[in-house]
Amino acid sequence: MALLRPRRVERGPRRAATPAARDPRVADRSALFDDRFLKTLEHLHMVSRKVFAGNLRAERRTRKVGGGIEFADHRTYSRGDDFRYIDWNLYGRIDKLLLRLFEEEEDLHIYIMVDCSDSMAIGTPPKMHYAMKVAAALTYIGLANLDRVAIIPFGDKLLGRLPPARGKNRIHRVFEFLRTCEIGGKTELAECAKTFVTQNKRRGMVVVISDFYDPDGFEQGINTLRYNKFEPFVLQVYDLREADPELHGDLALVDCETGDTREVTVSRSLLEAYKREHAKYCEELEAFCTKRALPFFRTHTALPFEELILRIFRSGGFLR
Amino acid sequence: MSLLGPIPMNVLLYFGAGAALLAVTAYIIKMRRRRFEVPFSALWRRVIDQRDPNSLWKHLKRLLSLLFILLILAIVLFAAAGPMWGVSDHDAKNVVILLDASASMKAKDGDKDGTRTRFDDAKKKAEDLIDSMGGGDTAMVMRMDGQTTPLGRFSSDGPMLKKLVEGVLPTDTPADLHRALGAAADALRDRKNPLIVIISDGAFPADQIAQARWIAPKPGAPEDLASIDLTGMDVRYIPVGSRSDNVGIVAFNVRRYVDNKAAYEVFIEVENFGTEKTERRISLFDGELEIFPDENHPFELAPAGEPGARVRKIYKELPTGATGRLRAQLSVPKGLAPDPFPLDDEAYALLPTRKMMHVLMVMKHEDIPLRAALLTYDNIDPEEATPQEYEADHTTAWKHDAIVFDDWAPAEPPPVNAIYFHPDADKSPVAIKKDLKDPHVTEIDEAHPVMRWIGLSDTHFDESHVFAPDKGKNEQALASMAGDPILVAKRDQGHKYLVFGFSLTGSDIYLRVAFPLLMVNALDWFAGDDADLLTTYATGVRQRVVLDGGANVREAELVAPDGKTKVMTPVVDGLATFYADRVGVWRVAGKLPDGHTLPPIDLAANLANPIESKIAPAKNLVLGGQKLREPEPFAMTRNQELWIYFLIAAVALLSIEWITYHRRITV
Repeated sequence: MALLRPRRVERGPRRAATPAARDPRVADRSALFDDRFLKTLEHLHMVSRKVFAGNLRAERRTRKVGGGIEFADHRTYSRGDDFRYIDWNLYGRIDKLLLRLFEEEEDLHIYIMVDCSDSMAIGTPPKMHYAMKVAAALTYIGLANLDRVAIIPFGDKLLGRLPPARGKNRIHRVFEFLRTCEIGGKTELAECAKTFVTQNKRRGMVVVISDFYDPDGFEQGINTLRYNKFEPFVLQVYDLREADPELHGDLALVDCETGDTREVTVSRSLLEAYKREHAKYCEELEAFCTKRALPFFRTHTALPFEELILRIFRSGGFLR
Repeated sequence: MSLLGPIPMNVLLYFGAGAALLAVTAYIIKMRRRRFEVPFSALWRRVIDQRDPNSLWKHLKRLLSLLFILLILAIVLFAAAGPMWGVSDHDAKNVVILLDASASMKAKDGDKDGTRTRFDDAKKKAEDLIDSMGGGDTAMVMRMDGQTTPLGRFSSDGPMLKKLVEGVLPTDTPADLHRALGAAADALRDRKNPLIVIISDGAFPADQIAQARWIAPKPGAPEDLASIDLTGMDVRYIPVGSRSDNVGIVAFNVRRYVDNKAAYEVFIEVENFGTEKTERRISLFDGELEIFPDENHPFELAPAGEPGARVRKIYKELPTGATGRLRAQLSVPKGLAPDPFPLDDEAYALLPTRKMMHVLMVMKHEDIPLRAALLTYDNIDPEEATPQEYEADHTTAWKHDAIVFDDWAPAEPPPVNAIYFHPDADKSPVAIKKDLKDPHVTEIDEAHPVMRWIGLSDTHFDESHVFAPDKGKNEQALASMAGDPILVAKRDQGHKYLVFGFSLTGSDIYLRVAFPLLMVNALDWFAGDDADLLTTYATGVRQRVVLDGGANVREAELVAPDGKTKVMTPVVDGLATFYADRVGVWRVAGKLPDGHTLPPIDLAANLANPIESKIAPAKNLVLGGQKLREPEPFAMTRNQELWIYFLIAAVALLSIEWITYHRRITV
């Protein structure tokens, strides 16, 4: 009988409804990057060398098409183009003026955007910690390959910036930055992307590590990057209990970012519907990226981060 | 349907309103949601929005949960109002069924084969009586034996009452009608249409039957406190039993000879309660050994025509056997009908173990009067030693049953029973207060076994120590002069000491007849052979039994003759309460506060009650001059109380609510 039922205090994935910055469990990042972690990164780098066999500095090339020596593509001639690059042979065969394009060789810029909003503080371990480890690992690989890697944590705004650097001796600065960077706030990817593109003129790969729980949607943010010639690399992180929560009874669900409260009686059928909705949301994100040929990875925090990195290596999306 | 209304309606309404308010408040509290943090509430919103079309039904389901609670509450309140089928029956009776469970009810005449007892018959009649009760009648069952035990409260639940009756067992005690009628009348006081039904064979003492009083005494007249007030009561009697041809032992006593304590004689009294001449063979057992008589000595009873004739038999010069546990047994010779009441065919008696006592006299000088006193009785074997010999070989000295120290005392009391005459002041086992010149005994503790038949008032003493006995050390003054003890008994760690303040040489006590008697009393006390020690008790009578060394004992364990049933009994001032409800040998053992147990004492319990042995059933019972009739059939109104069914319904609804809540149906 409901009247006699003892009241229980249900614990969510997080201990308290406080912003991530005030949650000591999340704010304490001192133990994230220890010697063991560094050894793991070194091991991953060795693996990456096997996957990518180049040995020149700055040997990874952008997709930017310009004045290089290696042929890349054709495009229609337009007024003002340099006559020297018109492919006269094709003109003779098909009677069209086409311009020959060459790949431009330059250092690859890798921007790693880490979601540090309050929603990333949820999970065991917190998704934010997982995301930071993945970010540190990708940064290490990039630095070791002499790419220029920058880290930009974000929430409802850009929460700081580790300027582009290269060389793996910079990894300790990266660790220090990730340990101390500001965290918390809502997720506003579109706004952050807009700010990002205005602040970073050098094009390159933008690895976005987030749960993509943005009330305004993820599309606009990713599109902003695309439209500004950046190459988005989408990495979605979620906690297993987010996808399959163990809830029942009468609850007031509080959004950890917006504080929006929704009263709900969780039944078995409602839980099933929620699980379907969560899966659908993830599929929407994946479909969006796939349609636009954007590298996309989804992972949960129970998967060891090194395994995720190896999956990324194997797919070739990050190492080119 | 009507309401019995055990609780006033306005109280119920107030209670109901309060409980409903509480239920609604609790329901509202229940609806206060637990807060749970989620990372992305938009997903939940999408899910909930899809299900919103069902929200009205959901609200209804929630209301259903509240309605369940209120319905359950209403049912409980209605059950408390005492609903019943039919109307209140003003002729309904309140009945106390007094079920005789005394010894005589064990008579095997419930059927022709002798397999059923008359108590089985009585239970059947009690169950028939319960079956005949109307819906408005209530009954209480009381067991009547040496005590009166109500077996439950007043109830109209027939099956429950019959179950109570079924569980009753008869005991080996006589029935106490006086106590039972008093308890029944008290239980029925202020109840409508009170009725007492006695189901019995009518074996009650005449004085108890005569004590019933049907009319209240006139105002101002002295009230007879012994009488049973049955004013306004309707008392009925249902007789049970058929046979009367019982022969039983009504007395069984054993005593030692004063001059030869190694032998004893037995007194047996057998009565023929039947109306015809019959024979019985009587046997006497010491433990399992049949000692008397043999097949050549049949025991013939009085001839027919003299009902109630008693035959008394004394068996003399029987030797003390191995166990000292005597059992008399009546058996039926071949060819005669079996005895219908075997309970009084057995009787038990216990004989204190008696053996030759070895007594050591430790004397500085030869003491002929002391030696002569100890030689008076055959079963005392005196030896002599000087103090030097005693000091040289304690071990041999301590093997004696008792030691007498004459005008000398050892440094430490011996670990055996001992008598001291005029001990040295610093070696006395009892503290010495002062010395008296020319004392005279003015007080004697005649209740103590040592001082039985002893007078010392004309005895002359030159001088004597005056002791300071300490009751905390189990020291007891036996003879004093104006409150100054000169003879003290002491118990210490299982040993007994008798300390005389005077010496034999400074007194003329050894010239007195009392002296050898005093010595024998002392040695008997040492041996636990108290001539007046009562070891045979009647069942159904509360007794107080002396526990040896039981000054600090607060409780004792009673072990029934079956050896299995054990009960604890209180001990006050060294006396244990003993109530035997079974014939046989009981064992009582005092429990010391530190957990140790005192040596057990055996007690024999016999029926020894001619009223119970006279099993001839009384067809009529005249109580206080009024003949009791059998009860008429009850009015057959089938009023049925319904509260239990409503309570079951409430529990069922509660279960449904619980299940539906947990199955998320009513949420």
